[in-house]
Amino acid sequence: MKCILVVLSIQDGKIKRSSLEALTRAATIGEATSSPVHAVIMHSSAASFAAEAGSYGADTVFCLSDRIFDAHVNTPVLAGLTTVINQVDPKLIVAASTESIKDIAGALAIRIDAATLPDVASFDMVDGTVTCERPVMAAKMMAKTTSAHSRVLVTLRSGSYEAKASSGAGKMVEVPFEWDTNLLSATLKEIISTTGNTVDLSEAKVVVAAGRGVKDASGKALVDELASITGAAIGASRAVVETGLFPATAQIGQTGKVVSPDLYFAIGISGAIQHVAGMSNSRVIVAINKDADAPIFDVATYGLVGDCFKILPLLNDALRKALA
Amino acid sequence: MKFCVCIKQVPDVQASVQTGRMVLNAYDASAVEQALVINENGTDEIDLILIGPASATETIRKALAMGASNATHIVMENVADLDSSAIAHLLAESLKGSNYDAILTGKQSQDSDSGLAGGMLAELLGIPYATNAVGMEATADGLLVTRQGDTGQEMLVLKAPCLVTCSNDMNNPRIPSLKGIMGAKRTTINTVQAGPVGTPKTKVEKTFPPAGRAPGLKMEGEPEELVAQLITKLQQEAGAI
Ligand SMILES: Cc1cc2nc3c(=O)[nH]c(=O)nc-3n(C[C@H](O)[C@H](O)[C@H](O)COP(=O)(O)OP(=O)(O)OC[C@H]3O[C@@H](n4cnc5c(N)ncnc54)[C@H](O)[C@@H]3O)c2cc1C
Ligand SMILES: Nc1ncnc2c1ncn2[C@@H]1O[C@H](COP(=O)(O)O)[C@@H](O)[C@H]1O
Repeated sequence: MKCILVVLSIQDGKIKRSSLEALTRAATIGEATSSPVHAVIMHSSAASFAAEAGSYGADTVFCLSDRIFDAHVNTPVLAGLTTVINQVDPKLIVAASTESIKDIAGALAIRIDAATLPDVASFDMVDGTVTCERPVMAAKMMAKTTSAHSRVLVTLRSGSYEAKASSGAGKMVEVPFEWDTNLLSATLKEIISTTGNTVDLSEAKVVVAAGRGVKDASGKALVDELASITGAAIGASRAVVETGLFPATAQIGQTGKVVSPDLYFAIGISGAIQHVAGMSNSRVIVAINKDADAPIFDVATYGLVGDCFKILPLLNDALRKALA
Repeated sequence: MKFCVCIKQVPDVQASVQTGRMVLNAYDASAVEQALVINENGTDEIDLILIGPASATETIRKALAMGASNATHIVMENVADLDSSAIAHLLAESLKGSNYDAILTGKQSQDSDSGLAGGMLAELLGIPYATNAVGMEATADGLLVTRQGDTGQEMLVLKAPCLVTCSNDMNNPRIPSLKGIMGAKRTTINTVQAGPVGTPKTKVEKTFPPAGRAPGLKMEGEPEELVAQLITKLQQEAGAI
């Protein structure tokens, strides 16, 4: 039986939770189809993550160690993945749908002749056919999409499956990788880190998201306070990213990130479909909006109709007490 | 810079009911806009390419009205059956041997949200590329691109010829002027029939509305009451805090 290969992304010194979710799902499918499940890690100290990958179900963990991978430039990542894929010849390749993976998915699919099912909410493999459900039309619809191609690449939305460690211990294999920087077709000039978030937005348990209703720095201060009290990552609508009040990295929605926290606060956000596309899978949604007819109330678990400048100071006090 | 912008006609996802109204993919509109901005003071022309049914000419005219000069329309009636890979192969076939400094695409289609065709096309043409661009400037021999990554922005230097996939966070596309609209009506669109396409590697079996969320509770009243109610609900009902 051909194997399943899971591409693991490293961020802030650890394997991304969304990658572990992808690995857990792959392990489940691997068991059902008796396919070996392997993982690949590309990072300056790739080997240090191998044991953890093994404990989430990877039989073999292929490690490519090179500093070049830490800069997210697409050419070396493509070269590294192609090396491993040619070596293990997987039927199914799975990765968490991060920006770095989206950056290479198209080119990789051509290079290794894979069909691609991008940004799926669920997937399975039965009799060699890969099926998935993926949100389309700004998540207004779901599309059941299949591929019977000999090789399929799936990228998975974060929060689609739970990450579960098992008792397994994987074998580590170092894959030699030499990179000549002269081969870089695009050179990195600068990395501008803009999150300001101490918690990774796409994996946060609590997200506080601000929209145009938050208006200005005084509104932002209230939002920041709510986030710090609840240990949340800060998100934003496109409207307040456009005005520069929040960084683009905070944008949630069709253009921005997809989040699925336990608790999502939408403060002064109208709930346009392109925003809802990125947050409707949150478990509990609290919306504060002064317009009782705002569409955000259609998806909110708890909708508070009112002025966020009046409600937030009270809410922050109450939460501080409740969480003390 | 000599630009070619790949544009797609998509259903209007914004419409609350399915009106069947077709529009220019918003991400492609941003690509057209940025090419116009970069070429503002130059004489280089901006070309467009679209694969789609005969009726998609209206979308091509919209992008021409923004200020693009020439357009190729690869006519294909059942374009909705094609996946990004089939589209990329058709585009590559048409662009092979061309001498553009840069090819621009949208970062994704608004309808399929795939985000693949750009990277695929770059690989097929064997040129450097950057995705999810939120900023783009011309340099002496290529482009300086700012892309939105997972934790921040990355600035990349690309040598021409290259390909960039554009985010709508890059700019606000201009509304065509009356003069632009009149000019676009007179532009001759180079119409060609699509060549053969192989069987797509993926197939949409069916589309259906998502499960939807359980109806929520909308609370109105004084801020003090709302906050007290919310805290109780979050603690006792939702178990969220
Ligand atoms: C292709 C495409 C992709 C897009 N991608 C995204 C995306 O990824 N993410 C995204 O967010 N948007 C996206 N958009 C934009 C989206 O359509 C909306 O324009 C945007 O989400 C609106 O942001 P908003 O809700 O903050 O602003 P608005 O729609 O202006 O809403 C502001 C809300 O604040 C409320 N309000 C005002 N004052 C107060 C107050 N004092 N207290 C409480 N409430 C108040 C108002 O009642 C209103 O409902 C995209 C659009 C397109 C075309
Ligand atoms: N039918 C088409 N004609 C021309 N360009 C297209 C077409 N379909 C997709 N593209 C380009 O590819 C981008 C989106 O890729 P994807 O999300 O993979 O469909 C769009 O923003 C366009 O620039």
